[in-house]
Amino acid sequence: MRRAVIAVIAAVVVTAAAIGYHTVAAQQRIALADMAQDSGQWVMPSQNYAATRHSALSEITTSNVGGLKVAWTMSTGATRGHEGQPLVIGDTLYFESAYPNHVYAVDLNDYHIKWQYTPKQDAFAVSVACCDLVNRGVAYGDGKIIANALDGQVIALDINTGKPVWTVHNSDPAMGQTLTSAPLIVKEKNVIVGVSGGEFGVRGYLTAYDIKNGHRVWRAYSEGPDSDTMIGAGFSGPKGAGTNTWTGEQWKVGGGTTWGWYSYDPKLNLLYYGTGNPGTWNPTQRPGDNKWSMTIFARDADTGMAKWGYQMTPHDAWDYDGVNEMILVDLNMNGQTIPALVHFDRNGFAYELDRRNGKLLLAKKFDPSVNWATHVDMTTGRPVVDPKYMTKAGTNVQNICPAAMGSKDQQPASYDEESGYFIVPTNHNCMDYKAFAVKYKSGFPFVGAIVKMYPGPGGNRGAVIGWDPIKGEVAWTDKERFPAWGGTLSTKGGVSFYGTMDGWFKAVDSKTGKELWKFHTPSGIIGNPITYTHGGKQYVAILSGVGGWAALGMAAGLTEPTAGLGAVNAAQDLKNYTQLGGDLVVFSL
Amino acid sequence: MNFRRLAAAAAVLIAAAAASAVPAAAQPLRVCADPDYMPFSNRAGQGFENKLAQAVGRALGEPVTYVWRSTRGPGGFDQFLHDTLNAGRCDVVMNVPYASENVLVTRPYYVSSYVFVYPKKRKYDITSMDSPVLKDLKIGFEQDTPPETGLKLRALILHSKPFDVGDTPGESPAEILDAVKSGQIGVAVTWQPSVGYFLQRSYSDLTAVPLPNSRAAGTIEQYVFPMAMAARKNDPRTRDALDGAIGKSKDELQRVLRSFGVLIYTGPSDAPVARG
Repeated sequence: MRRAVIAVIAAVVVTAAAIGYHTVAAQQRIALADMAQDSGQWVMPSQNYAATRHSALSEITTSNVGGLKVAWTMSTGATRGHEGQPLVIGDTLYFESAYPNHVYAVDLNDYHIKWQYTPKQDAFAVSVACCDLVNRGVAYGDGKIIANALDGQVIALDINTGKPVWTVHNSDPAMGQTLTSAPLIVKEKNVIVGVSGGEFGVRGYLTAYDIKNGHRVWRAYSEGPDSDTMIGAGFSGPKGAGTNTWTGEQWKVGGGTTWGWYSYDPKLNLLYYGTGNPGTWNPTQRPGDNKWSMTIFARDADTGMAKWGYQMTPHDAWDYDGVNEMILVDLNMNGQTIPALVHFDRNGFAYELDRRNGKLLLAKKFDPSVNWATHVDMTTGRPVVDPKYMTKAGTNVQNICPAAMGSKDQQPASYDEESGYFIVPTNHNCMDYKAFAVKYKSGFPFVGAIVKMYPGPGGNRGAVIGWDPIKGEVAWTDKERFPAWGGTLSTKGGVSFYGTMDGWFKAVDSKTGKELWKFHTPSGIIGNPITYTHGGKQYVAILSGVGGWAALGMAAGLTEPTAGLGAVNAAQDLKNYTQLGGDLVVFSL
Repeated sequence: MNFRRLAAAAAVLIAAAAASAVPAAAQPLRVCADPDYMPFSNRAGQGFENKLAQAVGRALGEPVTYVWRSTRGPGGFDQFLHDTLNAGRCDVVMNVPYASENVLVTRPYYVSSYVFVYPKKRKYDITSMDSPVLKDLKIGFEQDTPPETGLKLRALILHSKPFDVGDTPGESPAEILDAVKSGQIGVAVTWQPSVGYFLQRSYSDLTAVPLPNSRAAGTIEQYVFPMAMAARKNDPRTRDALDGAIGKSKDELQRVLRSFGVLIYTGPSDAPVARG
């Protein structure tokens, strides 16, 4: 197995040079980055450090994709939402299921299971997980498969045997914390792990663990004194904001979890990620900007020290977590090639920044229905909020767009190098939000928010769009009945792939969005497609298994409309299209 | 509206009431309740909601029948209402907060509060969420309730322990009292009617102190809730009948609540009374 991997790596360097790849990962000669250049493998959750999810494979093209057939399938043994994607390393495919988080190594020669590992978990995690019991995949490095478990364990498994090499407890379910994100391995040295939940408002943090032994290298909090947020002399933003944009000691429960995706620029040695919503749900209870919640952070990958931070939604009143993926590409803007970071936020704005310094290049709505803010002030970088759609105590504020699940959630976009478009899976729900409503948890009265979500203008609840990053415009739109809660994959063959919550796996023309092929999978899709080669043949793989916040009603058996922060109302008819159940489905010509 | 029109309207109302009185009397009072959630209700009729239903049934001259369904299954109480009362399977739910929005509530028939519970012998000086001693104690709380917000606002949640009895079938609200007794937590903060029954019958070494509403942290914190009965949103007739029954059997309802150790909240000045 080891030998096979090394042989593949040798081949890769040649392939990468031949392709003349433009992603940042190509600039460093480090094993993992080199491996990511081999289009035949898929070695990182987001495919490469730049998180482009674009493959140089081109056997499948716009003209032959109509002949795509199922090559092989496998049950995941789990029924909750499957948000992640497999890895392919050498001749083995690795993936992690939804809770109870089975991890599998599958031989691509004969599809036998080389090993399986299921962690023993603290069941309390199930009661504090907000949005279904999902997992977004494993990472690879240093001869190990790194798996996160819902209850906060990070487990390094020997790639050959599946036996744990080390385990750390990254977070504590008793404090409302869970772990759903996929780790990122930087330079085969640091394992980058986030934290989910923040149900009780506990401060979010990002942690680097030594891949050799699991020892903590650094931990950067989203709020608190600069020593906790790892803000020092090299930081371009205001000092002390992690405490002085809060009242009293509220920063201690400042939220700002880090449950999304992480990307890395080897040349700048900077790590990029976003932070989630502030801790206390009711905005009137936490005056101020609440920094550094809802922020894009750039940090030194070795030391964790922050280089810059850009807060997208100061004083969040809508639950627009800023954790979506940061895609690193070079953009030609105004005659200059700029190393950029492109981010499609839950708040409905596409942000394009200079990733060297955090300077805002462009901020435009990627869904015209977005109304909570009229625009982003390019001088201050702050959203100009429409007071009509500000949530307030005791008032049922109607028709806020987007709904709390955002114009886009964690489902990752891809960057199609051929067309120059980002292929972006989006949601299109709006909401009514009433803060301070009296409610009842069986046996216990309380005061909470009543949220009702429903389809946005036009009646579709989602869409996949082509985004022109230079013009800052939507180039094409493929409307979907349900939120497009799965990620996208673009390929050199001119074909992009994505799945839908009603179970379709689709291939579209990356330039126009025209549908070229589709197949109905066993369950709805909220996972992210990958592509790989085996025996010289191109395969496309997807995890089918509906769930997640958008399908929480089905996953948790709820039909009451306002349940799941209103998500249940917005997907009540899902049962007419699909049912729960996890499967890996793989296609080839 | 002049007197003549008012009188005419009243006449119509009286006629309607008279017309409805006959079939209503012939039908049972259909109550939806949890078959296994003491001290609230159980299939054997031992909970205070069962006893309240009997009293209301007597006042209305109607026999009580039950539709049993767990209030603590997936989706919790909202899903329970959706599947029972709001689906037309029953007409009454005995115990909901006044001002609940997805049902028609009656007038409140009792008012109670969240309470701190701790060992008597400790003699803690706890009168509100801002009492300094809370900084030094491990605090147990029911998750997703107002004390959770109060603990967050003061960062006290960092040394606390969540309980989830209200979402977990089979668990007893007494669990949080056991945790105080065993020293696993230093103080519990929970809804008094969920533990009053247990405090009255055992746990004589524990004391309960009401938690008044507060604005101390700069925002409204509600810990005192008036409680009511619920009828279906489109069923004002049942709601009106229940209101009548509450008026008629007021003393009986209070007697039932007292016998289940439910502490009626009468204002912060009465706090010492509760120290028992």
